[in-house]
Parts: sequence; structure tokens; C-alpha cells
Amino acid sequence: MYELFIAIRHLTSRRRQTVLSVIGIGLAVMILMVSQASIVGLNQVLYTSIVDKIPHVIIKPGPDEDHIYLYNSFVEDIKNIDGVIGVSPVLFGQATFEYKSHSRNVIMQGIHVDDHDSVLGINGYITHGSFRDLEMSHNSVVLGDALADKLDVKIDDLIDASFPQAYPATLKVVGIYDSGTPQDESLAFTSLSTARDFFDVSSVVNSILIRVDDPDTAHLVSDSINNPGVVASSWMETNPEILQLSKLKSISNIILMGLIIIIASFSMVSTIFMMVMGKTKEIGMLMAMGASRRSISVIFLLESGIMGFIGPVLGVAVGILICLQIGSITMDMGEGSFGGESAFPFIVRIRDAVVIVLFTFILNLLGGIIPARRASTLDPVEALSSE
Amino acid sequence: MSDKKKIEIRDLTKIYGDGVEVRALDGVDLDIEKGEFLAIIGPSGSGKSTLLNMIGILDTPTSGTILLDGIDITTASQRQRSKIRNQKLGFIFQYHHLLPDFNAIENVMMPLLINGIKKSKAKKIACEMLEEVGLYDRANHRPNQLSGGQNQRVAIARALANNPDIVIGDEPTGNLDSKSSDIIYDLLRKLNKEHDQTFILVTHDERMAEKTDRIIRLVDGKIVENSKVE
Ligand SMILES: Nc1ncnc2c1ncn2[C@@H]1O[C@H](COP(=O)(O)OP(=O)(O)OP(=O)(O)O)[C@@H](O)[C@H]1O
Ligand SMILES: [Mg+2]
Repeated sequence: MYELFIAIRHLTSRRRQTVLSVIGIGLAVMILMVSQASIVGLNQVLYTSIVDKIPHVIIKPGPDEDHIYLYNSFVEDIKNIDGVIGVSPVLFGQATFEYKSHSRNVIMQGIHVDDHDSVLGINGYITHGSFRDLEMSHNSVVLGDALADKLDVKIDDLIDASFPQAYPATLKVVGIYDSGTPQDESLAFTSLSTARDFFDVSSVVNSILIRVDDPDTAHLVSDSINNPGVVASSWMETNPEILQLSKLKSISNIILMGLIIIIASFSMVSTIFMMVMGKTKEIGMLMAMGASRRSISVIFLLESGIMGFIGPVLGVAVGILICLQIGSITMDMGEGSFGGESAFPFIVRIRDAVVIVLFTFILNLLGGIIPARRASTLDPVEALSSE
Repeated sequence: MSDKKKIEIRDLTKIYGDGVEVRALDGVDLDIEKGEFLAIIGPSGSGKSTLLNMIGILDTPTSGTILLDGIDITTASQRQRSKIRNQKLGFIFQYHHLLPDFNAIENVMMPLLINGIKKSKAKKIACEMLEEVGLYDRANHRPNQLSGGQNQRVAIARALANNPDIVIGDEPTGNLDSKSSDIIYDLLRKLNKEHDQTFILVTHDERMAEKTDRIIRLVDGKIVENSKVE
């Protein structure tokens, strides 16, 4: 394999150009790696913080129905579906809450506390009192902290609940929660039986919320539920913007980074091109010695291949180191759903590293075809007599 | 006198034509025998290099044939041409054309490596060749660390590495002073005797031509003299 012998010697004899080209590619690849890891990491944050807080599948009554009947056996069926880890039947509706001079329109949700906790982890949000007390005493309520502020109520205060076509009731505040989302202003929880009495319905619900162990498979679960009289939809359908946003970010990242890599590869191809121009006489002599045109092009393809491999491998390695370094620094992110002490969420996927290296390598090989072709189609007589 | 014809050239014509037509070679007929030491002379522009490039299959004629061991090389495929150049032909040019990134021994090894010979064996042969041209002690020097005459001797060792049947030299001493030229000439003559290889040299140096077996004189692409040297 004398082609490799010559290619390596060409590269090592022009150490400075070779190193500069490799660094050029390496830097571009490094930036791509870091940026990809941050996109993947941010998407992950988006998932855990947003998808985690919403039901993965929602079942609602069909178009001509107001309620889901005989839901108990239905819930049991759903629990047996692969991947389902929580099911919560819910009866909700509007209500007007009044306390002293304050009055708010709210969404009142009747739940089974344990069921609802298994879907949305509500017990973690409680700041005063407890969700469990909803089931201890009839006509009790848990409010979002913002709603409690607006009504100016505290634990044990009594709220008047009313609504047209509802039975007015007096509800005792047994808990206040803070989920960190806008629903804290308008969502109040009661037990299922309290809600039924208030809305004056029999043993029915008007939605069933489901949690699955892998949110990415939520659509499979929703597809498998096709009982008559109900409609199941996954979070991908109810909140399509979450996926669209992360997809858009990935695509714009890929386009931007692809362009950077192409520019870097372009500069490397021009390095090889300069090499071919400077070595015209040598190429002529190699041909006179019997090197085939194929071998000549292999020599220069190897050169772009070697640089186009070492560069990305180094770039990816340095990129990963940077991600690990920055990823280990924690900082205060302030309040909100992404708040608290946390580090920048880099996620380095081996798959990404391999794809980036392969993509850059292939791009460089393709680019290398141009100077390699040029070298292999030189006329030996002209090449030997060139200046 | 051997009647083994190594090279048979028939009616060889090369016309360069970009607008004005130049007949670089005009119906050349020439037979060259195995082991001959031949000089091609003639004024500048008479077609010497053109003829040599044809024999070396670096260039193709406009018409006519060249038989090498009975095979017409003018119609050979690219692959065959490369192979013949590698195994049957050795080239020496006015400029040594050594690969500047490789030292002397690596340069001499190159035709052997192209021929698919293993590196260790190629190195052994290259050492012997360097010894024959008297440069064994410079094996690890690169071309820019050697004199013009020394580089030309390395180029000769390289031309002979694959033990070719035919060695062609286009003014191999054209860049050297007369003392170095004599050394090169004597070396070529010695190698020609030892290996029974055919040598075809283009030269401007009449004195050198006189020391060969036969002189071919070209004028305007035609052979005007073909005479054995006494
Ligand atoms: N590539 C080419 N295109 C056009 N004309 C050419 C080309 N190569 C050679 N010629 C012409 O062919 C003729 C023969 O050239 P050649 O190089 O064979 O001469 P030469 O005898 O080797 O001369 P010199 O002693 O100066 O080297 C010249 O007239 C030259 O101008
Ligand atoms: Mg010439």
C-alpha cells in the first residue's frame, strides 16, 4: 500500500498546513458537538419539566356525550395496557368561589388523590395542609397558591361555591399547592364525591388522565384505546407545540452546523488542491514510474480522508470534554419551572458523536474527489515539464 | 550481433496542432536491439523528447506503431501502460524528479513498492542499487541535502530498481558539469554492460554520443543519420 506511505509522508512533511486544516475541521466539529449536546439536553429538560407535568394521554367523552359512564371497569382495562403507570378518573367543571368580598371563577376538579398523584405527582406540590384531607371530609377543597392569594383565604377558611345548574356548597380549605404553572390561579381540587354532589351527576367522570412510563410511546397507548363513546389523545396531539419546538430547534441547529462543517471542509479541500498543484511534477514522475491513475487519486483521497477523520475525532473528543466541564458547573437559575441550583443540561449521545464524525468524514472524502480527480487526470508529459 | 529486436518503430508520426500544425515526428522507422546503448541527437525542437516519450509510453503518437517485445504499446490500455512503465521501463530525466519528501533510499524503493514488492525486500534491493551508484552512505539524505550529480545518481538507481529491459534518459547529464557528466556516463555504460539492458539516451553532448554504440540524428522529426559508432 505505497499510496498510504506517500499520503502520510505528504501530510507529515507539510506539518503546518496539515495541522491547520485538521484544527479547522476539528473546531467546526467541536462546535457542532457542543451545540448538539446542548440541544439534546435542553430538549430533555423540556421533556422532564413540561411533559412530566401534563397527562400523557387524556380520554374524553365522545362528540355526542357529556360523560364517561361505567368508568370503573374501563379504568381497570386501561391499567392493564403495557406501559401505563397511572390512571386518574376526573370530574371537572366550572364553579364560582366566593370568600368575603372576593370572588373568582375556577375550574373545580374532582379526583381520587392517590390516582391523580400517580398521574401528575400532585402531592409534591403541596405547601400547606394535605391533598389526603380531601377524602377525609366531604366538601373540602385544595387551592392553587395564586388562587388562595386572590381569594385571600387560608387553611380552614370556608368558601362558598356556586354555579348555575349546580348545588351550592360550602367548601373548607384543607390544602394549598404550588405547581409553578398558571393553573395555580384557577384550579381547585375536591374529592370525586364532592364534585359529583356539586355538579349533580351520578357515578360518572368526564375525563380520564393517564401516565405512561416512556412519554415517547404515549401515542401508542392512546391508539390502543378505541372504546365506543370516548376519544383518547396523547400529549403529542394535545400539546403538539412541544414536539414542534424541539424539532425546529434541532433542524435549525443541523442546518447552521452543517454549513460550518461545509466551510471547514471546503478549506481542507483547498489545502489538498494546493498540494496537488504544488506536486504536479511529482505526480508526473509517479506516473512515469508506473503508478496508475487510480493510485494517484487514492493518494490524495487518503490525504483528505486522513485529515477528515483525525479532525472530527479530535473535535468530538474536545467537544465532549467541554460539555463535561461546563456541565459540571452548577449555577443558580432563579425561580420558575427550570429554577433552582442546576448545571447546564448537556447530554452527549454516542450516536451524535458517531454521526458527526461520519458526516464530516464522508463530506471530506467527497470534497477530496475533486483534487484527486484533478491529480489523476494530469498528462504525465505536461506534468513533468511543468514549472 | 544479436538479431533480437527489442523495439520496432514503424512510420511513427506525432502532429501537434493548435491552429498551426507542428510535425514533431514525421514517419520515423527505427529498430533497437536488446542491450544496445543508443544516443539520439539533433538540434533543439527536432523531436528527440517527443520520440523518447513515445517509447516510454508517456505520450501517444498521431499515427504509426511501436512494438515492444512484439506488443504494440500505442494501443495498450491505461492499466497496461502503467504496468509496462513500471516493470519494463526506467526513466531518467534532465531534472532528477526525485520526490522531495522522501530520502534517497525511499526514492529508489518507490518503483519497487509500486510494483507491489514488500517494503523489506524493496529496501534490500534499493540498498544494492544505491551501492551500485556509489551512494550507499547517503541513503538517508533527502534530495535537498544532495548535490545535483548525486541526485542524478539516485535517479539512475531508481530507474534501474525494477531491473527494467529498457532505460531511457532525456538529457540525463544536461544539468551537470562535464566532470559529473563523465561520472554519470561511465556509470550508465557500466550498468548497461552488467545488466544487458537497452539504454536510449537523448543528448546534446556530441562527445558523449561518440561513446555510445549507435547514433540516431533527428532533424525536423525525421531520422537523417543512423550510424554505428566505431
Ligand atoms: N505539447 C506540445 N504542444 C505543441 N507542440 C509541442 C508540444 N511538445 C513539443 N512540441 C513541439 O514539437 C517539436 C519537438 O519538440 P521536442 O520537445 O521533441 O524537441 P527536442 O528535440 O526534445 O528539443 P530540445 O532539444 O530543445 O529538448 C517542437 O517544435 C516543439 O515545439
Ligand atoms: Mg527535449
